[in-house]
Amino acid sequence: MHRRAFLLASLAAAAAPAARAARARQGLFIHETPVPLPALSVKDGDGRPVELQYPLVLNLWASWCLPCVAELPALDRLKPWADARGVAVVALSLDRAGAAAVRPAYGRIGVTNLAVHTDDTRLAAETLKAPVLPVTVLVDRQGREAARYVGPAAWDQARDLVTALAEGRPITAAMAPPPAKHTGAAP
Amino acid sequence: MKRKGLVMAAGFAVALAVVNVALVPNLKAADPVEEQERQVTGRFLLDTHDGQRVTADSFEGSLRLMAFGYTFCPDVCPTALSTMAAALDELGPDAGQVVPMFVTVDPERDTPERLKEYVGSFDPRFIGLTGTRAMIDGAARQFKVSYKIHPPAQGDDPDVYVVDHSAGIYIMGRQGQFLARLAHTATARDVSDRIRQILARGG
Repeated sequence: MHRRAFLLASLAAAAAPAARAARARQGLFIHETPVPLPALSVKDGDGRPVELQYPLVLNLWASWCLPCVAELPALDRLKPWADARGVAVVALSLDRAGAAAVRPAYGRIGVTNLAVHTDDTRLAAETLKAPVLPVTVLVDRQGREAARYVGPAAWDQARDLVTALAEGRPITAAMAPPPAKHTGAAP
Repeated sequence: MKRKGLVMAAGFAVALAVVNVALVPNLKAADPVEEQERQVTGRFLLDTHDGQRVTADSFEGSLRLMAFGYTFCPDVCPTALSTMAAALDELGPDAGQVVPMFVTVDPERDTPERLKEYVGSFDPRFIGLTGTRAMIDGAARQFKVSYKIHPPAQGDDPDVYVVDHSAGIYIMGRQGQFLARLAHTATARDVSDRIRQILARGG
């Protein structure tokens, strides 16, 4: 059922004629069979290549994307809790300017736990077939994408999901964090 | 006799040609997307994010990469501008023959300053285009772009509302004419490959 939902969502995104409105289905999409995570070009704040650790909550964002910025504080609050359970939390910025765009954004939002991670090739979204941001990919202990969340979420309410990733249990729809809506003005 | 045969053959060829000509537009008309694309004139009169009034003729001699949209996306944001910027990176020096442009359909919130900052975060080469509602409607009509603004609900922040718009990445020729429209799901490589094909054909 979830696989079907995911397939429908990806079909809608891939096959939509150019003239169709840019709308995307949001929420948690669970793969019936987890799929290997494709190779990504991730760097740290000093421009050094980063090897991702699993299990992993991998959030794709950019400083120009308001809903992405709006959900980062909740992801920042989730990080120490997830770290303590052996689940990595990575916010991967697609900003062209790399760390130079991430640091001021982190400062503005008040991010204190998330590290700087950049993909200045800006190809992570298309490698992961994400035509919209934010998208958060949930990666299991074997480095496979078990599910993904499209749109902004209240990540500090995703403890069940993180626990399942930590314990290697399947993700279920009931574990989805509630969606977060960006309601304020531009940062 | 010989001559008559020739004339008849020529006449037959003409008849065939007429049949072809008559058939081709009919086939095209059967595809609504193609039919729509044939009506894309690519004309516009808009203001750049620096306040300069421009038309399609202002960029004479350059290919153009264009998208319509808005910067205030409350739920999810399309990555089309990021794709266009990555395509410019892939083009390397050839990108110098391409002017990347972004037309806002939300001029009330997308002020020139906001637009400039937004497009600049993708690539400094980007030109943000805006104007009065009438100017933007005019451009949208010429590109067959549709959009709809959902007013904020009563009691909600008046600056928070959703805009639906048709998505896609346009490649326009050196005289501003329509060349191609790629889906918003196109990859950077799809976009740069198409531009390289156009350049290779001398376009």
